[in-house]
Amino acid sequence: MTKLRYLGKALRMAAAPLLAATLLAACDSSSSPSAPAAGSTVKPGSADQLALGRYLTKAADCAACHTTATGAPFAGGVELASPFGKFYGSNITPDKQHGIGKWNADQFYKALHDGVTPDRHLYPAMPYTSYRSMTRADSDAIYAYLMQQKPVAVASKEADLKFPYNMRFGMMFWNVPFLKNSLSDASVGQSPAWLRGQYLSNALGHCAECHSPRGVFGQLDLSKPLAGAALGRVAAPNITPAGLAAVGWTATDLQTFFATGIAPQGSAYGEMFPVVHLSTQYLSKDDLNAVTTYLLGDKPLPPEPVKAISADAVELDAGKRLYTAVCAGCHGFQGDGKPHVAVAMKGNSTVRNADPHNLIVAMLDGIEAQKFPGTESLQDMPGFAGQLNDKELAQLSNFLRVTWGGQAADVTPERIKSMRLTTAH
Amino acid sequence: MSMTIHPITMHINGKPVGPVPVPEGIMMIDFLHEYLDLTGSRLGCGQGVCRACVVILDKPDGTSEEVRSCITGAHFFEGKKVRTVEGHAQLNEKGEVVALSPIQQKFLEHYSFQCGYCTPGFVNAATVLLEKLKRQPVAKDQLDQAITDGLNDHICRCTGYVRYFEAVKEVALATPGLVKDGK
Ligand code: FES
Ligand code: FES
Repeated sequence: MTKLRYLGKALRMAAAPLLAATLLAACDSSSSPSAPAAGSTVKPGSADQLALGRYLTKAADCAACHTTATGAPFAGGVELASPFGKFYGSNITPDKQHGIGKWNADQFYKALHDGVTPDRHLYPAMPYTSYRSMTRADSDAIYAYLMQQKPVAVASKEADLKFPYNMRFGMMFWNVPFLKNSLSDASVGQSPAWLRGQYLSNALGHCAECHSPRGVFGQLDLSKPLAGAALGRVAAPNITPAGLAAVGWTATDLQTFFATGIAPQGSAYGEMFPVVHLSTQYLSKDDLNAVTTYLLGDKPLPPEPVKAISADAVELDAGKRLYTAVCAGCHGFQGDGKPHVAVAMKGNSTVRNADPHNLIVAMLDGIEAQKFPGTESLQDMPGFAGQLNDKELAQLSNFLRVTWGGQAADVTPERIKSMRLTTAH
Repeated sequence: MSMTIHPITMHINGKPVGPVPVPEGIMMIDFLHEYLDLTGSRLGCGQGVCRACVVILDKPDGTSEEVRSCITGAHFFEGKKVRTVEGHAQLNEKGEVVALSPIQQKFLEHYSFQCGYCTPGFVNAATVLLEKLKRQPVAKDQLDQAITDGLNDHICRCTGYVRYFEAVKEVALATPGLVKDGK
């Protein structure tokens, strides 16, 4: 499945029942991976280096762009849509003709660090702006691991870009102002966990690539790190300490989310689903703790309670009726959700988000059935684009926002209309 | 949320129903079973997975679609046209079945079902599919895929899938206008 289709279909609205999350947390502890020893003490070509490389390849989420659902591991082909056109993850197997088989470790590091391969300039769809902070030792470990993979003779797909973005050499000029040695931090901290989290989140996990807004040239806006951005159909939410606290996240819940894809505040959907699936679930407990420490800061803000909001009673009643007609069967009359079926609406971070964008996308497009790490899964949520009209979907959004989101009833039918996919029925 | 009673009206199997006062959050399957004594729709999983409970919603534009009655509130169907498994066979004035629909007949001939629990869902799914093929015929070589797409979500724990499939295929091929010649 292409990334674009993920965006359209693999959306899943928010919070899992506590029971499920607790069960999963228990599952996770029994199979929790441990990070191989990092750093320069690892001997080149040793089993330790390969194990480290394997771990880091997952932490850096290489598979998300370089492995398609039906293709060979790391053979490339995953589509990444952008305002400039379509990019495709390249073949990074050790195939000599189509992959990285002829590269040496220096050249691999140069690709990660400078966005320049032996043949050409990379586009920043390959997140070298984030990978630039990766250590040489970690780059070497990833290189060693990739070179152990099966070579696959599949040609990388050329990016399908509009003029003038199709002129690769232009990246040379782009890199001068926009390729920085480090990214800015959204949180404050200096503990060892925060520093490790900074490295994991920025250099490896490249969180900023989706969660930071971008400027007109596609560059990361470093003045608003992790403040949220809308690259695809599902927007990447604000994950600054204030943004996370505003929708109720705690350190424990975030760790559960990264390890299992599901927490009381919601389940991973859109592009975050493959991130959990391919990457964060494999992080060690210490590294998960580090990532959350970095995101929330050494002194996390307390999660905010849901505010009481007043709204037009007639409109709210209309929304409530719609909720009981088409949502309550799965999400529960009281918004509590059903274990293994649907997440709760109460405490749901998508419902609580000040911007209703993702809530509307989920209602319009639905969410594909999802299988999470461990034994948890959620059923598909049908899209209601064909069942409910703009006014009804606005009433439904507003009922959810007021009742469980602490947000104003400000979704208009026009907003819904503007967000319908033209391909939706 | 306190319980509120709202009257409901709709057309079921061609007949007007209601207004019937029913609790606001009642699911369609419970409304059919408890208020109308239409017990043909089966409650399997009760959570939207097995599709034993589907009913047909006839839309104003002439298209029809399946809706899972276990997770859809009865009030969703307010003012709408619905068909249940009871609506397919022809009845005489005494209410006795005189002829099954072509797909019901073919399911019988193929021994498609064993326990029959999933059958109402399959009858409705196949009916929706055949109606869709009537509006948008497919080439012969696309028929298998169309049937798979149409029935795929339905679960049969007695695993009658192949016989269901074959029965639907036979009806589709035998009914003029559903399958185009050539590509
Ligand atoms: S009973 Fe409705 S889908 Fe299973
Ligand atoms: S015939 Fe028994 S479940 Fe299908």
